[in-house]
Amino acid sequence: MTAPRLLHPGAWWLWAVALAACALRTTNPVLLCLLIAVAGWVVVSRRTDVPWSRSFASFLRLGLIVIVVRLVFQILFGVRIPGTTLFSIPEVTLPSWAAGVSVGGPVTLESLMAALYQGLRLAAVLACFGAATSLCSPYRMLRALPTALYEAGVAVTVAFTFAPQAIVASRQVREARRLRGRSDHGVRAWTASALPVLEGALDRAVALAASMDSRGYGRRGGASVSLRRRSVGLVLLGLVALAIGSYGLLDPGAPAVFRLPALAVGVIALVGSLLAGGRSIERTRYRPDPWVKPEWIVSLAGMVALASFVLAGKMGDTLNPSTNPLEIPAVPIVAVVGLLVATLPAWFAPTPPTLATVSTSVAVAA
Amino acid sequence: MKRSGQHRIDVIRLGPTSWALLIAAFALGVVAFAWPLFASANSALDASHSADAPWIFVILIPLLIGVILAELADGSLDAKSVALLGVLAASGAVLRLPSGGVAGFEPVFFLLVPAGRVFGRGFGFVLGALTLFVSALITGGVGPWLPFQMFGAAWIGFFAGCLPPARGRIEIALLATYGAVAALAYGLVMNLWFWPFVSSGDTTVSYVAGDSVAENLRRFWGFHITTSFGFDIPRAVFTALFLVIAGRPVLGALRRVARRAAFEAPVTFIPAETGSTIH
Amino acid sequence: MIRFEHVTITYPEANAPTLVDVSFEVPEGELCLVVGVTGSGKSTLLRAVNGLVPRFSGGVLAGSVVIDGKSTADLPPRDLADVVGVVGQDPAAGFVTDYVEDELAYAMENLGVAPEIMRRRVEDILDLLGLHEIRHRPLASLSGGQQQRVAIGSVLTAGPRVLVLDEPTSALDPAAAEEVLAALTRLVHDLGITVLIAEHRLERVVQYADRIVMVPGDGRPVIVGTPAEVFGQSSVAPPVVELGRLAGWSPLPLSVRDARRLAGPLRERLAEVELSAFRRTPRVVGDVVAITDGLQASYGPVTALRGIELQFRAGEVVALMGRNGAGKSTLLNHLVGLREPASGTVRIMGAEPHRLSAHEVVRVAGLVPQDSGVLLYHDTVAAECSASDRDAGLVAGTTRSVLDQIVPDIKATAHPRDLSEGQRLGLALSIVLASEPPLLLLDEPTRGLDYGAKQRLVELLSRLAGEGHAVVIATHDVEVVAAVADRCVVLAEGEVVSDGPARDVVIHSPVFAPQVAKVLAPLPLLTVHEVELALAAVGDLPFS
Repeated sequence: MTAPRLLHPGAWWLWAVALAACALRTTNPVLLCLLIAVAGWVVVSRRTDVPWSRSFASFLRLGLIVIVVRLVFQILFGVRIPGTTLFSIPEVTLPSWAAGVSVGGPVTLESLMAALYQGLRLAAVLACFGAATSLCSPYRMLRALPTALYEAGVAVTVAFTFAPQAIVASRQVREARRLRGRSDHGVRAWTASALPVLEGALDRAVALAASMDSRGYGRRGGASVSLRRRSVGLVLLGLVALAIGSYGLLDPGAPAVFRLPALAVGVIALVGSLLAGGRSIERTRYRPDPWVKPEWIVSLAGMVALASFVLAGKMGDTLNPSTNPLEIPAVPIVAVVGLLVATLPAWFAPTPPTLATVSTSVAVAA
Repeated sequence: MKRSGQHRIDVIRLGPTSWALLIAAFALGVVAFAWPLFASANSALDASHSADAPWIFVILIPLLIGVILAELADGSLDAKSVALLGVLAASGAVLRLPSGGVAGFEPVFFLLVPAGRVFGRGFGFVLGALTLFVSALITGGVGPWLPFQMFGAAWIGFFAGCLPPARGRIEIALLATYGAVAALAYGLVMNLWFWPFVSSGDTTVSYVAGDSVAENLRRFWGFHITTSFGFDIPRAVFTALFLVIAGRPVLGALRRVARRAAFEAPVTFIPAETGSTIH
Repeated sequence: MIRFEHVTITYPEANAPTLVDVSFEVPEGELCLVVGVTGSGKSTLLRAVNGLVPRFSGGVLAGSVVIDGKSTADLPPRDLADVVGVVGQDPAAGFVTDYVEDELAYAMENLGVAPEIMRRRVEDILDLLGLHEIRHRPLASLSGGQQQRVAIGSVLTAGPRVLVLDEPTSALDPAAAEEVLAALTRLVHDLGITVLIAEHRLERVVQYADRIVMVPGDGRPVIVGTPAEVFGQSSVAPPVVELGRLAGWSPLPLSVRDARRLAGPLRERLAEVELSAFRRTPRVVGDVVAITDGLQASYGPVTALRGIELQFRAGEVVALMGRNGAGKSTLLNHLVGLREPASGTVRIMGAEPHRLSAHEVVRVAGLVPQDSGVLLYHDTVAAECSASDRDAGLVAGTTRSVLDQIVPDIKATAHPRDLSEGQRLGLALSIVLASEPPLLLLDEPTRGLDYGAKQRLVELLSRLAGEGHAVVIATHDVEVVAAVADRCVVLAEGEVVSDGPARDVVIHSPVFAPQVAKVLAPLPLLTVHEVELALAAVGDLPFS
């Protein structure tokens, strides 16, 4: 176990994306609930005590809303197929300017369960995103960006630092209206105080830019022509590959090589251009987040879970239990084992530092 | 000095590679958002076969945005632009906080449209993307919708910078109209993205792969009317109203800072004569 | 090390040059002080050192600025980052990152310094500036003095030989200012770094300065010399120097210690004089205008004020002193009704201010807040003045005339945010003072004001007190307190520590005593003017 530190944000996102990919491969409610529980368990064990770590709960709430919306849609707009009717809604046909769709009719249990499964799947994906957001410090995420995106990363860092100040400033300006005999309540006060806050913000931007310039921002090593050409070439290759891949996605008659392989080539080429583009900026990083054993464990745990789902699918396990006729979903053991592996980060990721445990020495290498 | 009118600042210049990227991104964006209208039966995007394919775009779009940002930034983003981007993105994100998109009240465009107008289309593109990103980070809402919101807002900023030159009342009217149209388009496009996720295959308002574009459009329109159109109208009205009321002061503030930051002010050095006395 | 040769700077939209034919040289390892009235071009001079003017701001620079052999005409500011470090007026506005360590490393990251060297240098700077205990803290949680030191550290890590600071101690309380100045003198004396500072509060800094550059403004030539040379002739000087001029001491003392060594004969002479006759005539104090009774204030869980019982009478000038964070601003906010007390009462002329509407409050109390920019809304100075006249129901032009009294020569068409810090403060002061409310509250009104402007402010406040207003100033500036305050209230940790006549409270305190009191202790004299009166009365002027 290493001393308290924050895990590299890339590891958390890899884990979360792998879990989300698992969720997309199944509509088995047992597996999906287990997946949400796995994500929740890891979040609770390894999150910091700062404001953004509470976002997991809001993502769960959002998932619930999505499920409800899905069910409502099914009730109102569902295509009527025979099954066990639960209740009925009076049928109405919308006028032709509203697309002439028909609303209402008998609502069957099967269709509701189908909608529930779909909604649950979406909620699971949202839970994975929520987990990643709660576990990563946005600040460290920005510092881990590739160098080619450095300028954009600085802009976001500046925005981050400035946003709380903007909130405080708007309150101060609004209250200061009282000092000039104008009311500080009501719409008038809010709108009239917005402009001074904006102007103050813009002035600060100029002062900040001067400070950044004076500290060497924007120094570029001379980018060699060949490096630039390589980067542009990769970009164009990536664009062409993506175009082919999109075409392959849309048209079922296209050969299989136009689909995933073309997209994969496109993605790799674009990522390569990002990495190559970063070479021309001569910047170093102060104490970057290391990528050591805990990072490997976390990312591989997610990959193992994904692999187990793929394996379960190939073995014919019930990843998508049918709803028509309705059956009790079976529990595929392989997938469950994979999900349990995905809980490893709850033990193997380093504990995040709280303000009390921060000391002058921070372990770097495991 | 620059009191005469139509000089436009272009803080982020667009070179040929940038244009290629932008056009490609636009084309890919059309596919990423509107694929339910065009998908043929049994294609990879037909959700009754596999649910993965639409999620591919969740990876592709951010990658494309990243590459475009890297390309636009290359050599063009100096400290002033970055600081301005950061501060404007923060202001836009803070504006969004109280409402959180409730009832369509999306104040992001209040700053984005004038900023794109004053600082040029490249700046508008980057600002749109970054504002939504910062807003998501601040509210802790980094979800799968984020790349698409960033994409939509980036184009709104871009086209705001493409508006024809004008001053005075005409400019305000132009911006207000554009704001309303952009708000409606944004709502439509985001709903289009959302459509396959909420209703796949078995409702009367979901898309049917292989059906004609017109049929799918009709279903989408049914979906749109019953869901977000009720939010889109107030959003468009609010945006236009705000730009009419506060457009001139905001434009003035942005132009003032553009002058103070001296984006295009000339810098001249005149060397000293020889034979100087020094204390 | 720093060489200006016939430098003339003209901004892009200005009619006249800001600086004309400035030539001076600062050798290595000196601390050079840049002095001048508000808005005279000091900031322009400082920003020209690393090339921010004209590259960042636009404009024309004639002549040459050469730093350590490198000319700003050849290299942009980013390439001079390892030669010159510039710290602006508001350090918090220049922070790029969220944490202390990352901010310190920022400049080195830009320069592409290797990671091991970065770590070493960060540790060195943490030790040099005494920041190791706050190294992991977020920048937003630091005090003003700590932020200033982090800002200095963040430019030092790049390894420059020249450091330029624009008013580093203006927002700091005396203790924090001492820390910053001690750090700077350590840099100069231990490391041989050349430091260029602009300051208004000369009394704090002048003893450390090796050279003075005085910028008179209006395009007049710049005066350069040692402190004794420059202040020997100039009308603007710290109290210690003025006392030295009055008493004819030579060489002119720059610090309290130097003055005390020379002050023996003067002290003996004054000890024989009946001094109570020469104190400033105490004002006739009228009725109680404001009273707080058991006032308790809190921000969330933190109690900012505890059991405050104070009275403010008409015609009295009360100085509110104390460390940053002691509760001075909180007390002023409660007095003007911006905040509601957690318990206890505040009454102004019988009414509780936080219950009054904004319209009514402005008729009884006026506050100039610490950040004067929050009061300003309009596009031009003229618009602000006329809006202020309208809001308070005054004759048109009243605000403008008050403004001209405090800070003259402000263009009517200037945008308030384009003004210098001191000019903006003057505008805010004039807006609040023009309506002449019975209770006047000022929060740090002297920040950014030069001696002349401070003198004019003191005269204005004295006049208002004479006309029966109650004036409360929260300030760190002990010289202003000595010049104008009748009563002094010291706050610490939200409680009143002492409350009595200004003279008694201030005279023996090591932190709050003005320079004259420290030089002439144990004699109870506060200002040079009083010494002058005392000597004139016994016919001993000029003293020898």
